[in-house]
Amino acid sequence: MTIKIALTKGRVEEQVVPLLEQCGVDVSGIKHKGRRLIFDEDDTFEIILVKGPDVLTYLNNGSVHIGIVGSDILAEQQNSQYDMLDLEVGKCRFVLASTRDYNPHQVRRKIIATKYPTITKRYFQSIGEDVEIIKIEGSVELAPLIGLADAIVDITETGTTLRENDLQVYADLQPVSTKLVVNRLAIKQYKPQIKQLIEALTQAKLTLGE
Amino acid sequence: MKNRNLPNGTRDEFGTRAEIKETIQERLFKLFRDRGFNRLTTPILEYADVFSPLNLENVRPYQLLDEQGEALVLRPDLTLPVARMMSTTGIEVPAKWYYGGDVFRLNKQLSGSYNQVTQAGIEIVGYAGLKGEWESLAIAVQGCEINAVKDLTIELSDARFVDAVFAQLPLADPTKQALKQALFDKDLTRYQQLAQSLANTAYQPFISEWPWLFGAVDLVMATVKTLPDQEQLQPILTDLERTVQFIEAQTGDLTVVLDLSRPTPQSYYTGMAFRGYTQSDADYLFSGGRYDKLLTSFQKVQEPAVGVAFDVDALADRAAGPVDVVQTLLYFEPEQWSVAEAALKKDPNATLCLADSLAEAQAIARSQQMTLVNLAANQEVGA
Repeated sequence: MTIKIALTKGRVEEQVVPLLEQCGVDVSGIKHKGRRLIFDEDDTFEIILVKGPDVLTYLNNGSVHIGIVGSDILAEQQNSQYDMLDLEVGKCRFVLASTRDYNPHQVRRKIIATKYPTITKRYFQSIGEDVEIIKIEGSVELAPLIGLADAIVDITETGTTLRENDLQVYADLQPVSTKLVVNRLAIKQYKPQIKQLIEALTQAKLTLGE
Repeated sequence: MKNRNLPNGTRDEFGTRAEIKETIQERLFKLFRDRGFNRLTTPILEYADVFSPLNLENVRPYQLLDEQGEALVLRPDLTLPVARMMSTTGIEVPAKWYYGGDVFRLNKQLSGSYNQVTQAGIEIVGYAGLKGEWESLAIAVQGCEINAVKDLTIELSDARFVDAVFAQLPLADPTKQALKQALFDKDLTRYQQLAQSLANTAYQPFISEWPWLFGAVDLVMATVKTLPDQEQLQPILTDLERTVQFIEAQTGDLTVVLDLSRPTPQSYYTGMAFRGYTQSDADYLFSGGRYDKLLTSFQKVQEPAVGVAFDVDALADRAAGPVDVVQTLLYFEPEQWSVAEAALKKDPNATLCLADSLAEAQAIARSQQMTLVNLAANQEVGA
């Protein structure tokens, strides 16, 4: 029986495929994928391309054995599976950002716009502040600019988008990177193969990182 | 009525699925009864306090209020109600109970998981020795066998093991706590960072392998034997080794493995814990263990307890559906009732057709693909 990996399509996929290839996994199908979503070229691992937020849904149901997904999504969805390895790609960070005139110490219940309500709630709880959270699906930077929110919690890699929109960072919340997550029962059922993959990926990280 | 939909995470069960579950439950109940266990039925509604020993981060119950404003829950677990009952009724120990029913836990919305699942299991209260674990395991093995589970793997662990190892590690308490969390989460990246200070010590061979310390008994034991201080661990290891031998002596197609890297299933577990699965299942088929602290949240006196619960839904998921049998529809005139009853007794796949005319009976037989027997004419008229 093959081991199924749900891989987040898009940027994560582009960054992780070279690592898998370095481990000896046959990724020839994904490299010329067309519209396919399932890749069974490798004898041991079947790779399925899914959207990031769906990785844990497949993993929790036992439909796939391994997930490769950003830690932003793991934190937001309160992952309960084994978050085993930091692949150290797709690195970015969660920040609290707003316009220049934003005062983080202003005494009132602030309004925060974000795609990540769980992470936002947890952050403000940790600093003992109660805020009103507004969930936004995209272009979160707009919210403070047009007066929907006082500030935003969002992911930034280089800060370019924030700067271009004249926003600045007021706090660093947590780092984000791509993680390898394993289903709690699958690790028992496929220990040798999964252990070998993790060891190979650890080595591949070093080789490709050099 | 406007809202005819089911709440999220629930389902109707009918036909084959319902029958499979009922059969599995009946087989388990018979097994429990045949071994001298007594039936215990507890209410679906309990005070929320009963379940306070559960880790509520993993178990979110449905809550409601009673008329005095006290928090009630739909039971998220079937073991704690047994403990509540034992501590409030003064029933003499030792006692052996079996139970079966639904438990309710809120899962993530729209995730495909069910919030109402069926369990069946046993609790043995009042026996402190290893024989308690063994009877639970014997029941686990036999319960799988009668439900045609092939290639069963039984995983043994012990709630005391991880703390016994941490007690001997030369680390500061905060590091121990962080390392333990990383071990339980199998967060290898963080685990390796935290374990770095043990790199050149006698603990190194064990520590580097610890997150992977599950699987074949001899391999796991060989890693444990590399620890410098064996004395504290010995009673735990002896119990595990004896139990491995006990299970291997049982009949049936099964494998025993160990897991000495997992957290205690619940805070009230005090000794051995066990679970069962097969290579093809997406869920554990049963789980259980020794929880001598179970009753201490209800009473001052500690009482030894051990038990095991089957996940009836997981057993049903893996069961092959029964071959579809064509049902026989018995049409009869009102005055033929006793004839119809006699025909019904003879054919286990028959059911009475309550239609008032033969034409109506024929239409039902056609649309539901049943074989119609017309007792009025005393002849078969075809499907």
